Amino acid sequence: MAKRLKAPERRASILAVAKVLFADNGYHGVSIDEIAKRLGVSPAVLYQHFDSKEELYEATLDEIACQRENYAEAVLSGADDFGGVLERIAQVYVNSVARDPDYLKMEMHSVLDGAKATQQFFDSRWKSFSDFIEVSMKELVAEGKVSQVNPLFASLMFQGMIREILYAKCIYRSARYKNIPLIELVNQQVQLFLNAIEYKDN
Amino acid sequence: MQTIDVELDARGLNCPLPILRARKSLNRLEAGQVLKVISTDPGSVKDFIAFCKQTGNVLLDTVEQNNEFLFLIKKPAN
Repeated sequence: MAKRLKAPERRASILAVAKVLFADNGYHGVSIDEIAKRLGVSPAVLYQHFDSKEELYEATLDEIACQRENYAEAVLSGADDFGGVLERIAQVYVNSVARDPDYLKMEMHSVLDGAKATQQFFDSRWKSFSDFIEVSMKELVAEGKVSQVNPLFASLMFQGMIREILYAKCIYRSARYKNIPLIELVNQQVQLFLNAIEYKDN
Repeated sequence: MQTIDVELDARGLNCPLPILRARKSLNRLEAGQVLKVISTDPGSVKDFIAFCKQTGNVLLDTVEQNNEFLFLIKKPAN
């Protein structure tokens, strides 16, 4: 028999199970009955917290979309140079996704479903990269420390590289890269990016 | 009324830029002087608590008003 939980705990447990199932199967591939069965409760318990599967799906997306990385410690642990900070925040981000790849799957589902949470996924996670690269590169271009590259395009390129690494290592676990540690892939890609924009750190 | 020596506008920016800019601004201040940071990122509250804890600067005040966050940070004596 399922343990009786207080309302906030029950809601959190529903969201946690829903995240796992929605991440693997998408909105249409999961039923309320299945989530209830996995939780060991009746569907009626789920409907006490969410009016519909759609509401549960949106709540699941919202909760994940609002999660943010804590970059402060990593950023302050070294010098302020653009390349160093970029490498450290990329490491924090990929380590976080590697611990919970369902986050990235839910981001993909959100985009494909046109869910409202899509913007929040961007604001909570990717905006840190686009802000940092675009604003820093405008200054670096003016100082002659990088080539005359459009910061908007450079930022998009960097985010694409990081996403692809995460897909290859954490989602479809490509055999091609299985012997290369995630952080090594990230560090190499950061270096490639810095070379591409002809970054000079002094 | 707290005297403000330097103001940093970090509106519209997500971490890490606000804390990098804050560190740069504080490095230019004299001991005892105060930096005011304005941010629109809700995550900046947690970021500036961590920032002050890690750098030894003093977070004098945090105010939220009109969807903006104001931080008063004092550079310590040493």
